[in-house]
Amino acid sequence: MFQKILIANRGEIAVRIIRACKDMGISTVAVYSEADSEALHVGLADESICIGKAPAADSYLNMQAILSAAAVTHAQAIHPGYGFLAESAKFASLCEQCSISFIGPQSGHISAMGDKDNARKTMKKMGLPVVPGSESVEDLQEAFDWAGKVGYPLLIKARAGGGGRGIRLVAEESGFESAFLDASREASTSFGDAGLYIEKYMEQVRHIEVQILADAYGKVVCLGERDCSMQRRKQKVLEESPAVGLPEETRKNMQRDAIRAAKKIGYINAGTLEFLVDADGHHYFMEMNTRLQVEHPVTEMVTGIDLVKWQIRIAAGVPLSFDQRSVRPSGHSIECRINAENPALDFRPSAGTVDFLHIPGGPRVRFDTALYPGCTVPPFYDSLLGKLIVHANAREEAVRKMQAALAELVISGVDTNIELHIDILAGEAFRNGVYTTGYLESRNQQ
Amino acid sequence: MIKGLFKKPKNDLEPSVSGRIEKPAEVNIPHELCTVCPGCKKSVFSSDLQENDYVCPNCGKHLRLNARQRIHMIADPESFQELWADMAGSDPLGFPEYEEKLRAAELASREMESVVTGTARIGKKPTALFVMEPAFMMGSMGTVTGEKIARLFEYAAEKELPVVGFTASGGARMQEGMLSLMQMAKTSGAVKRFSDRGGFYLAVLTDPTTGGVTASFAMEADVIAAEPDALICFAGPRVIEQTIRQKLPPGLGRAESLLKNGFIDKIVPRSEQKKFIARMLRAHRRIRKEA
Repeated sequence: MFQKILIANRGEIAVRIIRACKDMGISTVAVYSEADSEALHVGLADESICIGKAPAADSYLNMQAILSAAAVTHAQAIHPGYGFLAESAKFASLCEQCSISFIGPQSGHISAMGDKDNARKTMKKMGLPVVPGSESVEDLQEAFDWAGKVGYPLLIKARAGGGGRGIRLVAEESGFESAFLDASREASTSFGDAGLYIEKYMEQVRHIEVQILADAYGKVVCLGERDCSMQRRKQKVLEESPAVGLPEETRKNMQRDAIRAAKKIGYINAGTLEFLVDADGHHYFMEMNTRLQVEHPVTEMVTGIDLVKWQIRIAAGVPLSFDQRSVRPSGHSIECRINAENPALDFRPSAGTVDFLHIPGGPRVRFDTALYPGCTVPPFYDSLLGKLIVHANAREEAVRKMQAALAELVISGVDTNIELHIDILAGEAFRNGVYTTGYLESRNQQ
Repeated sequence: MIKGLFKKPKNDLEPSVSGRIEKPAEVNIPHELCTVCPGCKKSVFSSDLQENDYVCPNCGKHLRLNARQRIHMIADPESFQELWADMAGSDPLGFPEYEEKLRAAELASREMESVVTGTARIGKKPTALFVMEPAFMMGSMGTVTGEKIARLFEYAAEKELPVVGFTASGGARMQEGMLSLMQMAKTSGAVKRFSDRGGFYLAVLTDPTTGGVTASFAMEADVIAAEPDALICFAGPRVIEQTIRQKLPPGLGRAESLLKNGFIDKIVPRSEQKKFIARMLRAHRRIRKEA
């Protein structure tokens, strides 16, 4: 087992990983930017090193500074969390070259799945259903021909994309050219790769993803699914597990596909396969995320399996101690992403000092956060303040618990989207558990 | 304030496989992982430099390339055929320590002399190609250097090939005295005869192109391109400053100032060189056909 791990991240996920390390008796090294010198993860870690100025490019994305910090502190492994360097094949490869364990998959798998077009092709070859679409295209005429074949409405997506960026929805032929050129420019500036692909736009679909864990000895287990259909501009807002009303056959097929794909490509560590599920219960592979997901706690709550600890154990070469049969998800879990943003002002991000904080408690209520009274929320990073997670025997009870917990959560000093969650939970569509990825947007238009 | 606020839990390290606590490998950052850019002095991952044709991603500085790297970058894959590969220098004047210097240069550059000559295709167009090797006594021009270049022009004239040349040189090789200065005349003569037969010659001047090489074949091309910020001069700025005892204006002797003063035709960044050369070769072929 590793004696010391460096956590190359900040915010709630850095705190989450440090806590797992503390349980396991592993020493921790925090890295932080100049804006984060008073951040909670810095205080919780055994050692901390400043790696640069506030902008992420100078600090949390600064590979040289992070590798140097690992070398100076003799950290044997680096946990990248999510975002920042978590899906950088280059960083994983540099860690490999420096004999530092990267807590995540091998660089080859990151780059193979990071190219979304390549990932689709690979999965298609393995017999997984994929959303009808084109191969990667750079030329407008070629793309236009593909669009004709795929049919409108369609999505133009960046081959190297992620996080909902570089995506354009095209309703009809007349809007194709400008959307394509737009997406191409954005892909080129955001990802340094102008390659795009076209996908059929599926309306009335649910976004359901499947969590897997794979050890270094070829064992793969599936930890069930998460419904992430509650989205605003392709960004997840609320997640739950299990997915309500998902036909048992679809669930089984998705799990079987995920395990088969992971085994075939020789995947190691935690990974998530994202699927779209249509009204008839057909599932289509979208992409694979080669990292820990933000919404991993809902899976932890229903399975009782600590995903972060298992990521660390797998990276240290420990075999999985349980098999598929012993994974028995129970009850229902919901997670609300609490962001520093103002829904009334078109979700404008907010920053400032938290002058009062009350965190709800009680049985099976969990709040993953890096906030403490008096802390500063800097304007430089993503707006996630924390994740409120509840677990109960049945969904209805979980919804009640979440309503109560949201009402008790007080964060003053910065704007938050707590009210939005209270509204969503009170909505009839959510109560029925029948909502699709377009739900929030159509609700806002009404 | 936040540091030192929390206690460290008294937990033993969780055991690994079958209860053993295994010791993972020690962190070892390989020396060659990073390179310090001579321009901005920032450390850059060597893999990034390699992917970027050895141009610094921070400041755009064009780092020096050895001849084989350049051939790999410019010539179509597997199209390079080397000519006169085994021609090696000797010590015609018995100059002290020259023999040892030659051996050391061979070891440092893994080349027999300061220029590599041959034929290749660039953008599918066949061409004669010479590339000077800065790691061999700073690309200095000895008798063998001059001979190989002169031969290449004669060969190209005979085979009706254009010539593409990359220069990088500290000038004539002082250990070969007058014999090395004679190479200026010899190569110039060869270029002139090649040109008289309608041959097309394109030179790319790289950092540094100085002394006898600047004063001969480097500046005799039909199209003279240069890499950004390359030092191109006869005498270096420091030598001039020491001679005239005056401070020179900044940038004197650099490619940009040469372009401004009409000594060269174009500055072509490394990433565009292959495309540029291929375009020039195509244009020349068309003109020649029409003639």
